[in-house]
Amino acid sequence: MASTGGGAPGTYTPTPTKKTQRSSFFSDSDVDWLRPDGRGFHQCRPAFFRTGAVNSAAGSAYAEFGNTKVIVSVFGPRESKKAMVYSDVGRLNCNVSCTTFATPVRGLGSDNKEFSSMLHKALEGDLPVVISCASLALADAGIMMYDLVAGVSVSCLGRNLIIDPILEEENFQDGSLMITCMPSRYEVTQLSITGEWSTAKLNEAMQLCLDACSKLDKIMRACLKEAASASLD
Amino acid sequence: MGVPDASGDLSSEMEVDAFRHLFPLRYFERHLSESIRPDARPLGRARDTTLALGAVASAHGSALAKIGSTTMLAAIKMEVMIPSTESPDEGCIAIDFHMPPICSPIVRPGRPAEAAPVISKQLSDTISSSGMINLKELSLVSGKAAWMAYLDIYCLDADGALFDAALLSAVAAFSHLQIPIVSLNDDGKIVLVSEEDEGAKLEKEPVNKEKRKLKLSSIPFSLTCILHKNYILADPTAEEESIMETLVTVVLDSSARLVSFYKPGGSFLANTSAVQDCVALTRQRVKELQEILDEAISGMEID
Amino acid sequence: METDRDDGRSPSQLRPLSCARNVLHRAHGSASWSQGDTKVLAAVYGPKAGTKKNENPEKACIEVIWKPKTGQIGKLEKEFEMILKRTLQSICILTLNPNTTTSIIVQVVNDDGALLVCAINAACAALVDAGIPMKHLAVAICCCLAEGGYVILDPTKLEEQKMRGFAYLVFPNSVVSVLPEGLSHVEGEPMEHGIITSVTHGVMSVEEYLKCLERGRAASTKLSDFLRRSLQSQLPSDSSKAA
Repeated sequence: MASTGGGAPGTYTPTPTKKTQRSSFFSDSDVDWLRPDGRGFHQCRPAFFRTGAVNSAAGSAYAEFGNTKVIVSVFGPRESKKAMVYSDVGRLNCNVSCTTFATPVRGLGSDNKEFSSMLHKALEGDLPVVISCASLALADAGIMMYDLVAGVSVSCLGRNLIIDPILEEENFQDGSLMITCMPSRYEVTQLSITGEWSTAKLNEAMQLCLDACSKLDKIMRACLKEAASASLD
Repeated sequence: MGVPDASGDLSSEMEVDAFRHLFPLRYFERHLSESIRPDARPLGRARDTTLALGAVASAHGSALAKIGSTTMLAAIKMEVMIPSTESPDEGCIAIDFHMPPICSPIVRPGRPAEAAPVISKQLSDTISSSGMINLKELSLVSGKAAWMAYLDIYCLDADGALFDAALLSAVAAFSHLQIPIVSLNDDGKIVLVSEEDEGAKLEKEPVNKEKRKLKLSSIPFSLTCILHKNYILADPTAEEESIMETLVTVVLDSSARLVSFYKPGGSFLANTSAVQDCVALTRQRVKELQEILDEAISGMEID
Repeated sequence: METDRDDGRSPSQLRPLSCARNVLHRAHGSASWSQGDTKVLAAVYGPKAGTKKNENPEKACIEVIWKPKTGQIGKLEKEFEMILKRTLQSICILTLNPNTTTSIIVQVVNDDGALLVCAINAACAALVDAGIPMKHLAVAICCCLAEGGYVILDPTKLEEQKMRGFAYLVFPNSVVSVLPEGLSHVEGEPMEHGIITSVTHGVMSVEEYLKCLERGRAASTKLSDFLRRSLQSQLPSDSSKAA
């Protein structure tokens, strides 16, 4: 039987003959280009959240931002095997895995060390979605938290700032900024900036992110309330 | 709650719950003697099953299968390979089953689930021996290029009968599979024919214009049963699987031939009549699953 | 419907069996088992204190490690390990030594068909040699389904590849001691008719599978007699060693 995967010969994904040009949707100087999915520059993808996605978990959430789909499960709290002595703080263990079909070219096993940095790179774009979804899953599990955490990223393309970029846009970006914050407390929990930024642009981008975060927070809260009222019935 | 009052002396809800955790086997046996299961199912009934095709946009074929709360996401990516010299007219299928840590509290990050490679192996054995896919259909240019179909199945929620849900999602993903149109360029490499080129100015003829869909013959479906004393429980949940250990998985294809009779250990309750009972239950289930699959496919065609 | 086999056996004739116990001196129990040119060595270590993670500490834990003749273990070997583990779990009395782990290491010496079956028989003999408490013995048999629907037993590797389908079956051996009526019969059938393990490959009709079961059962009596005889014949040497 030739159908076993072991020792598979080298395979490749067929690509179109002509390479897609950077200019296919983006023209350098002007403001009159369209985003590939037809959104405005400062418009996020429609966000959808649902808690209780995984039955066997203590808490879980599903998030869908356009084509980005994320499931987060929370297990525990359980006895820590690592702590040998008494400890008055708990530990939070995080693990992110990515399916092999999540990217246009089939990914390689995540255990492959050589590609883990590549995987990390590929995941970057989805990180705010993962973070928002994780905080919702924690809330679903009944873990005590200061606040929900909402994350949003902004890409800088030429002179334009675009919010909530998709993978295709990220491939052409000059710089990116991601903020995760606790909107009710107005506290930033994480801020990461890559690429080239001017101070003015940076300020504008941060304000854009924070506004989007508070809107995202409302959607997440609405989802939790809905789940809570449904369980009361 | 659908829990019947099987333990007369234990009245309040809390005590029933405690009884369930302390004496799980007795709790289940009390139910079984009344021919009912704690989730209000009769013994031979499988859980509600749903199927959604095309759940993954970045794959060539995909399906999401749910049996009760057991959830499987299967996606197929097609890549090109050079066929082996022994079978120059055949493509290849590589099946991998993953249990990421989100699916169950038993799977911890960094320690892959023991069950995953075993289910992977079972799936590729079942699919190859059922003859559902004619590997010749995956050939592009004899001896030069053929498709390699990578089927990856992710368990999103593990609540028993993993193999059944995985096999269902796998066959559904294959029936949803839409093979991209490709042509052979001058360097002998296979290139994608994009939507815009498809009409007028084609310098190279596509090599697989007629073969966008696979013809699936005799699709295999399965049912896992628990044998406990003289009871047969169809489609167990994770809790049932952990309490009663004798599992039997029967795979039948659409023409009712036996593709696999799998019983890894457990007590020796499987005598001839039990074997026949399991097969009969599976026959029924195959009909149900075939309907669910047909419905999902016709739902896709309307869109 | 009789068919000629390459080695001149009749369809339901097994290859010559041989079994030796106590072949390894450092292990707590060991056995080698061969069926024709297929030979497997099994060693038992334990019971050792403690169970592995995700195992029930109220029961004894059985661990199986498969060592192929060459190379590393893959999915096939993982599946073999799992089947062996579940099979052995169901014949051992796990409640006697709670919170212990018994390791069974299976080393393939030569593979000429019916490998898993040979490994199960070897492991079973090794468990007896190590004195692990067991409910009963198990005997494994491989039934092949040839074109035309007849069944041949204990195939060689060459035969295995030519066949339309095959089934690995494990049956409990017939118990000679006196058991209460309910225990030795399950729903009117003797207990040695029940299957402990069944793994099949290839498509067959249900009737053909049942035919395999019937032939397998018939042959398992012979196997079980052989197993019992070979375990008994080696008993005196054991007792002299103990003394």
